[in-house]
Amino acid sequence: MEFDWTEDEAQHRAEIRDFLAEELPGDWEEMAQHGPGGDAQAAFSKVFCGRMAARGWLTQHWPIEYGGRDASPWRHAMVGEEMWAIGEPRGAQYMNVNWIGPALMRYGSEAQKAEHLPRISAGDVLWCQGFSEPEAGSDLAALRTEALRVGDEYVINGSKIWTSYCNHADFILLLVRTDPDSRRHRGISVLLVPMDTPGIEIREIPSVVGERYFHEVFFTDVHVPVTTRLGPENEGWEVVGHALQFERVGAARYARAAVTLDRLAELARERGLLDDPIVVDRLGEARALCEAARVLTYKVIDLRAKGSPPTADTQLARVLGTRADNAIGVLALEIIGPEALESGSFADANFRLAMTAGVAVGASEVQLNLIASRFLGLPRE
Amino acid sequence: MDFDLNDEQRAVVEAIEALLERHAGAARAIELGRDGGYDTALDAALEAAGYGEIATDLGLLEAVLLVEALARHGAVSGSAARLLAVPAVCDAGVPGPVALMRAGHSGPVRYASHANTLLILDGDQARRVTLRPGECPAVPSNFGFPMGRVSAECVGRGEPLGQGRGARLEDAWRLGLAAETVGCMDAALAETVAYLKQRRQFGQTIASFQAVQHRLAECAIQVEASRWLTREAGFVASGSEAVASAAAFALDAAGHVFAETHQLSGAIGFTREHDLHVWSMRLHALRQELGGVGGHRRAVVEARWGEALEGEARGGEALEGEAPGGDRPR
Repeated sequence: MEFDWTEDEAQHRAEIRDFLAEELPGDWEEMAQHGPGGDAQAAFSKVFCGRMAARGWLTQHWPIEYGGRDASPWRHAMVGEEMWAIGEPRGAQYMNVNWIGPALMRYGSEAQKAEHLPRISAGDVLWCQGFSEPEAGSDLAALRTEALRVGDEYVINGSKIWTSYCNHADFILLLVRTDPDSRRHRGISVLLVPMDTPGIEIREIPSVVGERYFHEVFFTDVHVPVTTRLGPENEGWEVVGHALQFERVGAARYARAAVTLDRLAELARERGLLDDPIVVDRLGEARALCEAARVLTYKVIDLRAKGSPPTADTQLARVLGTRADNAIGVLALEIIGPEALESGSFADANFRLAMTAGVAVGASEVQLNLIASRFLGLPRE
Repeated sequence: MDFDLNDEQRAVVEAIEALLERHAGAARAIELGRDGGYDTALDAALEAAGYGEIATDLGLLEAVLLVEALARHGAVSGSAARLLAVPAVCDAGVPGPVALMRAGHSGPVRYASHANTLLILDGDQARRVTLRPGECPAVPSNFGFPMGRVSAECVGRGEPLGQGRGARLEDAWRLGLAAETVGCMDAALAETVAYLKQRRQFGQTIASFQAVQHRLAECAIQVEASRWLTREAGFVASGSEAVASAAAFALDAAGHVFAETHQLSGAIGFTREHDLHVWSMRLHALRQELGGVGGHRRAVVEARWGEALEGEARGGEALEGEAPGGDRPR
């Protein structure tokens, strides 16, 4: 047991910070205020990811045969921390490299790997994930969007909701029911669907979170070849379960929260608020919370680095990471005060992105269910 | 980064677990607790096994693992002070048991009734007092530790241990508090989970209700985060910030875990026949030291944004080595 960075890792963090200082435009903060799904940030992400790829950093943790460098997951985690902390200039591509690529490596055909992995690794493709539906939110296994097999094709009908990044995405990793007579977890498959396929329609759902954050995606008689299926037919639940283990700690929310907190402490000092013991107490509480979320995330990365199967440590880390993000989002409003209410202000932008944390990628209550059963071994009701 | 024990650490943990199985446990804690007793036999066994202060050449992380295990087994031993605080500020040869207190503290002091040595934290100074037998009268307490009251005369005999030792003592004390808290929370939660898995009401086990499961899951998150923060702080050892963060999180979690384990256990949890109190009541005693949760949080702020708190500069060196460098995660 040791909690140290290797010399190489420590140097890598410094390299990443230098790279960010060079590459981010002067108006980056304004550009990033709507999160990875915003138009300006999405456009910039393609340029930025290309530059990361040129340095070999975008998918460095992937195997060499798929465009990676066989680098330690710790180096990739470090990239994730530094990127997320500054507002995620990789845009939606953080998902590609974190879990869509690894899901393709594990379950994809040779043709699928050849088609998709080089593009992800080069940083010139955007993906979104088509999971939630109007009647299948936390209860994802209730999904109804169907893909009926007709000859060598699937014909997709249905809709997805809350889909982030789909307005910019080239592909959607789509969860569908391929056995119309099936229920729950059986009969689900994963399809890799180009977003320009006829019959796909996108509608933005205006929200208080940010521009182009949520969408509905409608599928009307969308024809795709059977070869777009990822993994075995009707066994997509396992594919998604595996993928989500990566996704749930994919966004280093604690790192962004920690950077925000440093800024709040500085602001508090400037405004003389550190004479107030309540402010000091809140800052200390928040910093400890960020650290707690970080160390639990590191435990998950340690398992991944050792090739161990995923455990409920992922859920522990996920819940605490969302708590840290939420807590610092609220603290920013309290410390900054009424100025925080102006749209686009630092506290406003931070708060809006943080407020989704406990709901995105599976509500915290679902994570708590998994902790109860898998970590504590509690019986089902 | 490596979250698994190495061979040496595993050997230490296995040895201490075996020793504690024989010499400690809830029944022993309850027996000693009847008249505020101290487990001299356990200290002797620890000494013989090489885990006393003099014989030990453990690293801080290994000491943290020991303290965590001692607390989990309900040990009535001031080993946290001997394993962590004493090496931070004293040369070898300090007679135990050792009690810790802050200058100006009023109220009972853990282990003072049985201690031979008292270490006093006085700002950036640390002082040492050799106690006379029976000098600190025992104070009855329901909070799981033998307690004693320290007189002003006794405090006045404190001999300074050298410049800057105050910060070192404070960090070591705080690290020990976090580790003890982790052990106590771990055992309290395990006891509660085990009980709720077998206790049936409304035709099913209480642990099968989702409302209960979520509360236990929340406790598990708190305990695990406290555990790993504390172990990491034991490894980093170079920064007050890591130690303060661990203590701030763990001691806050302790309040939550106390409330939840008792609420979910129901009336049986209040009884002496049920073991929960062995660990739960201690949590609130641990929350009294070094200014409690608020004190640890303030220490986080001082360490992280130190210059921000004007007039509150903490003198002295850290526990050992340099402060955390720029390669620490932000």
